[in-house]
Amino acid sequence: MATMEIRSARKTYGTLCVLEDINLSIGDGEFIVLVGPSGCGKSTLLRMIAGLEEISAGEIRIEDRVVNDLPPKARDIAMVFQSYALYPHMNVADNMSYSLRLRKADKPTIADKVRDASAKLGLGALLERKPKALSGGQRQRVAMGRAIVRQPKAFLFDEPLSNLDARLREQMRAEIRKLHRALGATSIYVTHDQVEAMTLADRIVAMHGGHIQQVGTPLELYDRPANLFVAGFIGSPGMNFVEGAVELGTFVMRDGTRLPLPEGMPETLGGATLGIRPEHVTLGEGLAAEVELVEPTGHGIILHLRLAGAVFRVLTTDRRWLTPGDQVQVGLPAGALHLFDESEQRVAPAPHPQQ
Amino acid sequence: MSDSVLHHVAPDRYRRPLRQRVASVIEPWLYCAPVLVIIVAVMFVPLVLGVSYAFRDIQLLNPFSGGFVGLDHFRALGQDDAFFRALRNTLWWTGASVFLQLGFGLILALLLNVPFAGRGLAQALVFLPWAVPTFLAGLNWAWLFNPVIGPLPHWMTALGLMDEPSNILADPSIAMWGPIIAAVWWGIPFFAITLLAALQSIPKDLYEAASIDGASPWQQFRSITLPFLAPVIAITVLLRTVWVANFADLIIVMTNGGPADRTQTVASYIFTQAFKRLDFGYASAVALVLLALLLAYSMVILVLRQRLSDRDK
Repeated sequence: MATMEIRSARKTYGTLCVLEDINLSIGDGEFIVLVGPSGCGKSTLLRMIAGLEEISAGEIRIEDRVVNDLPPKARDIAMVFQSYALYPHMNVADNMSYSLRLRKADKPTIADKVRDASAKLGLGALLERKPKALSGGQRQRVAMGRAIVRQPKAFLFDEPLSNLDARLREQMRAEIRKLHRALGATSIYVTHDQVEAMTLADRIVAMHGGHIQQVGTPLELYDRPANLFVAGFIGSPGMNFVEGAVELGTFVMRDGTRLPLPEGMPETLGGATLGIRPEHVTLGEGLAAEVELVEPTGHGIILHLRLAGAVFRVLTTDRRWLTPGDQVQVGLPAGALHLFDESEQRVAPAPHPQQ
Repeated sequence: MSDSVLHHVAPDRYRRPLRQRVASVIEPWLYCAPVLVIIVAVMFVPLVLGVSYAFRDIQLLNPFSGGFVGLDHFRALGQDDAFFRALRNTLWWTGASVFLQLGFGLILALLLNVPFAGRGLAQALVFLPWAVPTFLAGLNWAWLFNPVIGPLPHWMTALGLMDEPSNILADPSIAMWGPIIAAVWWGIPFFAITLLAALQSIPKDLYEAASIDGASPWQQFRSITLPFLAPVIAITVLLRTVWVANFADLIIVMTNGGPADRTQTVASYIFTQAFKRLDFGYASAVALVLLALLLAYSMVILVLRQRLSDRDK
């Protein structure tokens, strides 16, 4: 267990800068999720913390010790890889105990720790198996077991669930959360899946284009996204956006449709983007829209509407019988609107979402 | 019920006319026939002819030879000291060549697996010796070892390895090193190519996981690289051993088996018997013994490999 501090960290490959001025402090026992689209630098940041990539500038501290020049093994961290990276020639028990054997731990200690970890992960019956005789989920557990036996200062996860099928992923997600609660170890978890980020994180670090976009609890990011990128990335189906301008406290869409804004929003703003989450749009009174597509999800439906020239998604649990081509009226409640300025930043003060 | 079904079906089948039954048996063989004919003609006929020579008296210079002599050649072989010396030389020649080729090939493959500027060019250059005809390679090395025209003896003298520049190919006690060095030079690329290919198939994140687990480069080599390479090493060593044991070109070109038969291997002995003394019968008998020995060796290696991979499961 440890605190971590990343100060002005940069990563460059030649002239290409993949991470710029990363600042982040991580509390003891915190579960941090780095999330972003592929190529945003999240895995690179994780690998810099692990010591697998050099830190071009700035510093990374683990428990007040600068680790920039320490090799991975001196940083006392454990990592779970996307490919699991299990040693194919060793059985499960040997895979888990490899780090302990390298450190010349005595045999009873190793046996104890392997037994503990395998009991926690339900691997007890598989200790003699080779990785190739295991299913994807079991390999994933072994990879976690290998991390657990070491009792490191921090766990690093590099998209550990992306090779599993949806059902298994859901199950492992819950197990990782439980495991974190049981062990209480500082964890950094990289994923491109915003659902994983929302469900696992104490705090989410949303990244894009080599920059940190926003750091906050899952609900902070969901309710008050700092910019257009976070607003669009977090949440599924994604937030609806309409471009336009603010005039006299009213949002004017490109086609001239006017929408009143709540109190506290700026009076005028040229080139603005209005956002609203699909579940906050109400069906009934309001703007006219045409149904383009109906996607039933079981517990509700996702409607794709054409509204003021833009595609609008609406999530409703109302099982109304609608077909493409139908005309509906939608309401955009003032309290659920997000406003972004020309530089794609959120315009304060934040409206409170209506639930 | 089932009885009656059997009764109805069984006689039906047996009542088919003989011609039809024979035709249905022969049919698949007919489809295979072209290939079988080619294989028999190309592989079995020469093999059987060659084996038959071992039991006949065939000397090109003796027009009255050609008669069947039974096991006479093998009896002569049992008394032939030159043959047994050649056998010992073969062991030494094959063992040293393959071991050194493997060792240097592995080192080279490990070096070429590390990214550096100009790696593509280095890889291409390393594979060059493989493309040199062995005849040329043998001549080249023979000249290099020759103190009159080659630099090597002078360098070795300067380094203190030799008292005075002399031709190691002419010194019975160390003559075997000449062809061995040439064979190593020529054979390294084979191991380097195959081992490099195997190295590049090892997932990188295994090394990353091991470095996080605290493994030093040597420990990573032992617990990841070697187990991954083991099957490739086993099969390449097997192939190489058989080739090198059968490989007479370099020896014939460089030393012709001399001095004093010190570099005579079984393969070069066969060549000498067949093409210098023109005694094809005796040469075939020697070749047959070599074949049997190599077959036995291959079987042992394959069984070992099977054992190892069984234990792996």
